[in-house]
Amino acid sequence: MTPAPSLPDDLGGLLAPYLARQRWYAGPEDLDAADVRVVETRELCSTGGGQRHLHLAVVDAAGSRYQVLVGERPAGEHAEFLQGHADSMIAGLEGRYLYDAVVDPELARELLPIVTGGVEAATLVRPVGAEQSNTSLVYDDRIILKVFRRLVAGRNPDVEVTTALARVGFEHVARPVGVWRSGDLDLAFAQEFLAGGAEGWALALTSLRDFYDSGDPDPAAAGGDFSGEARRLGAVTAQLHVAMAEAFGVDPARLPGGDWGGLLDAVAERLAAAVADGLLEPASAGSALERLGAVVDPGPAIRVHGDFHLGQTMRADNGWYVLDFEGEPARPREERLVPTSAMKDVAGMLRSFDYAAHVALGERGAVEAEGLAGAAAAWTAHNGAAFLAGYLAADDVTALLPPEADRPLVLDAFQLDKALYELHYERTYRPTWLPIPQAALRRITDRLAG
Amino acid sequence: MSVTSTGAGDPRWFQNAVFYEILVRGFYDANGDGTGDLRGITEKLDYLQWLGVDCLWLLPFYQSPLRDGGYDISDFWTILPEYGDLADAVELVEEAHRRGIRIIADLVMNHTSDQHPWFLESRQDRTNPKADWYVWSDDDTRYADARIIFVDTEKSNWTLDPQRGQFYWHRFFSHQPDLNYDNPEVADTMLDVLRNWLDIGLDGFRLDAVPYLFEREGTSGENLPETHEYLKRLRKEVDALYPGRVLLAEANQWPEDVVAYFGEGDECHMCFHFPVMPRMFMAVRREERHPITEILTRTPAIPEDCQWGIFLRNHDELTLEMVSDEERDYMWAEYAKDPRMKRNIGIGRRLLPLVEGDRRVAELLHALLFSFPGSPILYYGDEIGMGDNIYLGDRDGVRTPMQWSPDRNAGFSRADFAQLYLPPLMDPVYGYQSVNVEAQLRNPSSQLHWTKRMLEVRRQHRVFGQGSFEVVSTDNPSVLAYVRSAPVVTGDEGDGSDCVLCVCNLSRFAQPAELPLQRWEGKVPVELLGRVPFPRIGELPYFVTLAPYGFYWFELTDL
Repeated sequence: MTPAPSLPDDLGGLLAPYLARQRWYAGPEDLDAADVRVVETRELCSTGGGQRHLHLAVVDAAGSRYQVLVGERPAGEHAEFLQGHADSMIAGLEGRYLYDAVVDPELARELLPIVTGGVEAATLVRPVGAEQSNTSLVYDDRIILKVFRRLVAGRNPDVEVTTALARVGFEHVARPVGVWRSGDLDLAFAQEFLAGGAEGWALALTSLRDFYDSGDPDPAAAGGDFSGEARRLGAVTAQLHVAMAEAFGVDPARLPGGDWGGLLDAVAERLAAAVADGLLEPASAGSALERLGAVVDPGPAIRVHGDFHLGQTMRADNGWYVLDFEGEPARPREERLVPTSAMKDVAGMLRSFDYAAHVALGERGAVEAEGLAGAAAAWTAHNGAAFLAGYLAADDVTALLPPEADRPLVLDAFQLDKALYELHYERTYRPTWLPIPQAALRRITDRLAG
Repeated sequence: MSVTSTGAGDPRWFQNAVFYEILVRGFYDANGDGTGDLRGITEKLDYLQWLGVDCLWLLPFYQSPLRDGGYDISDFWTILPEYGDLADAVELVEEAHRRGIRIIADLVMNHTSDQHPWFLESRQDRTNPKADWYVWSDDDTRYADARIIFVDTEKSNWTLDPQRGQFYWHRFFSHQPDLNYDNPEVADTMLDVLRNWLDIGLDGFRLDAVPYLFEREGTSGENLPETHEYLKRLRKEVDALYPGRVLLAEANQWPEDVVAYFGEGDECHMCFHFPVMPRMFMAVRREERHPITEILTRTPAIPEDCQWGIFLRNHDELTLEMVSDEERDYMWAEYAKDPRMKRNIGIGRRLLPLVEGDRRVAELLHALLFSFPGSPILYYGDEIGMGDNIYLGDRDGVRTPMQWSPDRNAGFSRADFAQLYLPPLMDPVYGYQSVNVEAQLRNPSSQLHWTKRMLEVRRQHRVFGQGSFEVVSTDNPSVLAYVRSAPVVTGDEGDGSDCVLCVCNLSRFAQPAELPLQRWEGKVPVELLGRVPFPRIGELPYFVTLAPYGFYWFELTDL
């Protein structure tokens, strides 16, 4: 038996152009071959009579650590799966070529038994939508394997939170099947696949397209009314927070003890900056802040989802599921784990409704969109109210919230915080979308001032 | 009197059959008295054969004061004279069988009319021979946990009979006293009734309101073990004496409760699947598949030789008993915009007016019906897109005369207009001048021809009746894709395929979908209506685009 060919010594250099092309790569575009350092490689398995190989490579590049699953096939062997996936090609070598194995149905299939220690196996695998920090594979429409691309030392928050929530009996996360670790790194996470599910974002857009086309100004009258789903999503969110509190505890002193003041300071600073940049009229900003300062008790702190929006939810046949507990990917890991108000998630979802309404509006073209602006606002208000009603209808969530008198203000503070984050993001990456957070900021500050 | 039966053939014929529900009174009036009759149906059998239906379901044709559309039977042994006589029934059965069409009839087991001689006798005093044939009580407090079904008209399940000085039990209208199945004489006599009609060649029964046969204190009076025991006894009798005949149970319950009526294949052959029907409408209105997939997911497996009966509309209101309160409000708001459209806990409308006359939606709904797990049941007139008249009382709005032609009385009857049991529809949109069989027969692009073509295609693929059902995941919530498949049975006549992929667009906008079809890599999807081969399935997700309310039925072939 011929020894398995190892990966070439200059693998780091070969990976540099490949890495620079990946969506999940966080460093500068001009990644130099010398900036990629191989930390670990090992062969995971081989197929095709020892012709095809699957390797794990952990590399450091421009200050971050990444996982690459390297596939290897003999030169000249045709691979249909690489069609349209030029980005997945790593290098052609003498007698063989290397590529990203997640797109290879044969090698990716072998990954499941490896990851689950032989507990699970499947006959078919397909990659599903690439995300910012991971790639997902679906096995037999039964198991989804999230391969973490960007690795962070310590437990991956998604693995940690999902597992903890499942342990306390929260039924609205996809059941964990197994975790694949190397040292203190979480490499991949296998969960039950929610077959037949649809993303909350896609459902909201479906409702909005129907509503905008109906000509009826009342979103409750539209056939595609989303409020029933929004209400159920609110109820599931409340259960999520109760389960979070059960799994990770409640800190009654944290927010009143300084974090709330810190949040207000940060909001004030960014509001002032937005005014200075001419993105916001100064009129209402000041009095809005003054109003928020009147909050007596901002409520307790719990672990929250942290990046809660419609795209992180899935409607399956038996109800809503919450996905992806990694928190805002742009923030450092430690920051994502800090307990805060449950209102942060509620605010996140309300902002997401607003975004959905405007994205669907943006699909219509300027002339139609102008006439539908009122409809967009009505849809957002109608479904936001339904979401809140569903959320607050859960009895046991109230203990985790600010007292009723302070609740709307705390919620507005977190919506301001979120909208200011959006303002920064859109200005940097998508200037044409800037009006969405701008209008939201205007609305919230006016409400607080009035 | 000669008796024919096609029951000797495939004992599981009902799994592949398309049923056609007929209101005898409303189908065709052969004797010109203003009311449809059995001979009228016989005269129209050629049409039904042409359409391609396999089994007729006749609404009750027994002697009745007709206070509940014949579901108030006043003599189980006699045919309502307006409909004809026993000879007419025998002729109808024979002529249908000659054309390969079977016939089942409605039978009400639970109750009789208050005009039934049994009840007239029972109510006289507490000691007569029929005194215990009905459920009597000194007060109206027993069985308090049983709900009231006809909430629009009834206040209690008990009504005082002044003659006997006692209350009698009725789950439906107060003029329909419930039979007392705890009395062995009643249980035996009802078996005699069944035998009587099977003897003339009927192919089975649609058993009306079966969950309510028995009453027990402290229960809802529905789905009691005693009821199931009785149905098992009934089935045994049918299997022994009349193999190949079918029992179709009407039990408006959640699927997990309804499956009990299949027993272990030793109770009813078929049961209606009620909850899937409103959800088809809901899914189209919301442009989203979950209302459908969630109910199909929660539908348990049934014994191998059983079958669901599925339908879009029937002679009753579009019933909303098997939806949540929230969903009911939604359905009322969306489909019953005029309060007159509400009937009991449902919507009293026909299919096409329900979907605001949009034929694309009607066709999509039929495509779903014809490809979902179960045997489809068409309601007379829906094949031509008949309308309704919500101003007629009770459920008569959806029971108007069949529209055969643009002639007088819709070609339904030669009687004087004033003599008709109900006026035919005459409005400009759904009236018989524009919507009728004759006109649609002449027009190859009519809904009638479309329906016939769909049934033709369906008949060639037994997987629609007997295959497994599996949803194919897709990100687009407006697209519902599923595979009907069955192991290849060699030498099985009329079926070359073992796998049909259905892709449906529930939205009024065009939609794309990426389908993970790797399991069928290498197969060529052939569209069943036009037999056009589509690109071969490869390793990558399969991409399809769908027109508004569009659908595809693909046979996955080895071309």
